Amino acid sequence: MVMNIYKPDLMKVLQVRQQTGDVKSVRIAFEDPARAAEFSFRVGQFGIFSAFGYGESTFNICSSSNWKDYIEFCFRKTGAVTEALWQIEEGDTIGFRGPYGNSYPMEEWEGRDLIFLGGGIAMPPIRCAIWYALENRDKYGHITVVYGARTTRDLVFQDELDEWAQHERTTIIRCVDPGGETPDWKGEIGFVPNVLKKAAIQARNAVALVIGPPIMIKNTLPVLSDMGLAERDIYTSLENRMKCGVGKCGRCNCGPVYVCKEGPVFSLEQMKHLPNDF
Amino acid sequence: MSTIIGGQVLRDMVNDWIGDGKRVGGPGYVGNHLILYRWLHRSDELLLESYPRPHNSIKEFLFPSHEKLYHYKIDGQHIELSEAVLPDAQQIIFAARPCDAASLPILDHVFNWDYRDVFYNRRRSLTTVVTLACQDHDAHCFCTSVGGGPDDERGSDAMLFALGQDQYEVRCFTDKGKALFEGKLEESTRVGKVGPGPERRLDLETVREFLKTDFESPLWERQTLRCIGCGACAYNCPTCHCFDITDEKVGSAGVRMRSWDSCQMAMFTVHASGHNPRSRQPQRQRQRIYHKFEIYPSKFGEILCTGCGNCSRVCPVGLGITPVLTAIQEEQAARAGTGAAQEAGREKVDQ
Repeated sequence: MVMNIYKPDLMKVLQVRQQTGDVKSVRIAFEDPARAAEFSFRVGQFGIFSAFGYGESTFNICSSSNWKDYIEFCFRKTGAVTEALWQIEEGDTIGFRGPYGNSYPMEEWEGRDLIFLGGGIAMPPIRCAIWYALENRDKYGHITVVYGARTTRDLVFQDELDEWAQHERTTIIRCVDPGGETPDWKGEIGFVPNVLKKAAIQARNAVALVIGPPIMIKNTLPVLSDMGLAERDIYTSLENRMKCGVGKCGRCNCGPVYVCKEGPVFSLEQMKHLPNDF
Repeated sequence: MSTIIGGQVLRDMVNDWIGDGKRVGGPGYVGNHLILYRWLHRSDELLLESYPRPHNSIKEFLFPSHEKLYHYKIDGQHIELSEAVLPDAQQIIFAARPCDAASLPILDHVFNWDYRDVFYNRRRSLTTVVTLACQDHDAHCFCTSVGGGPDDERGSDAMLFALGQDQYEVRCFTDKGKALFEGKLEESTRVGKVGPGPERRLDLETVREFLKTDFESPLWERQTLRCIGCGACAYNCPTCHCFDITDEKVGSAGVRMRSWDSCQMAMFTVHASGHNPRSRQPQRQRQRIYHKFEIYPSKFGEILCTGCGNCSRVCPVGLGITPVLTAIQEEQAARAGTGAAQEAGREKVDQ
């Protein structure tokens, strides 16, 4: 029997954490010990997750590739599948296919300062790279994280932001949109591009990973350029709708590029060669 | 020398195959006027006479419109998965048009690059394709513009050529084709002829030149705004292969399904955030043309079109590949200013 590429692995739900009013993160492990033993992935890759009876959705694997006993993903409740995933509890079974796609070039980034810029629900696909870098702390220069959300209640992985800030040569900047702050808010108030500009980060030897809503990315790119980052040193992860994840179903392409196979990670230099189709 | 066969022998062979448990798909009348490919129960459902072509394609026989990928059973927190039953009966696609058969080697690429699709591949390995060379064409046919023709051999295991009086010349191209007709053919000196095929009216070099240089052209808005996004072009196209994956569950058991989809649907690319990279119909039409004439060739070396013309044959608003590519050619020629491209196109038609 040739492998059925659409049949998922069964995964046990180990833990569910509610991150915000409509965002949860889930920790899962392979039911089959043999699959668990052979499985590996690279940070930046994604999976296709099943809620049986409802369908599949595509999410980044937001845990570090150094964590061997489980993987994690994070989602916002927005449709039928995520409504169903919202109901899952510890001990439940879901499906996982993957890992798919390319990954962050973490080896290429060695020796560089890292600037991570995330907006809202875009923190999970950055979180895996932050953990990976912190777990290989000697290999990277200064790490700066600028993470913005609409309100203080929309920031995900808040406890981990505190934990990251404890590491050496690491700066964590949190911001919320104007009006999204609470009286006791100690972070910045403003949009990610403005907060980044104000932070005046030393960027001579830096690479940046920017993930967020299109408007945030669009307004952040000029700031990074002004800071002196070359297009080949600015990366993002495209979040196109996918069904198969394996280059067949025909919907995730951006011009000649199948995001599920040749992406989702692209440098700005690569993006410049893609048609305006994302 | 040639090998020939009588129509009655062919029809008897079809009945024998069906009697042996083989599946036979071929063109036949549905109602009084519509000709479609479908699974046959008896040879008298098969249409061997000359006519342009069926309104659907043979892809249904290898890549069904709805297909089970696997089953699951839900028992509390426990899930049990089981494989979908893959077909194991030999299948013969009979009297298909060459523009249908030509789609199969083209589709082989996408179903096998890197990840192999067991569902498509299983049916492909069980399938023998016997085509009927074209005597006729209609205003929608354009195989000759995209590298095909009335006796294009791509994807055919054997081809029939009508000789008149219910006699056919048979040319076998593959071992599968030879095996199918073994012991059935008579030697002859008669050689089948084909129709002239449609006049060549598209110049793909010009089209690709346009596609490479002007993604944002206002042409898309002008030419394709009238598309109603019904997807009929895609569903009846031999090479369109986009699909959706969905769940069908009743009680505690369900099945994960794959179904045909189309890039002409608004929901096709919409993100969870609500953002849609192709929020307007002209952007979706542009995607369809780019996928067929720029993206697929750049990835797999072959255009994703065999010139069957079903897209324009079934389109309710007069779109389809030829109307859009013709507009592109005219635009490109006007842009060249000298009209050189148009001239080149005309010369090729004359040849």
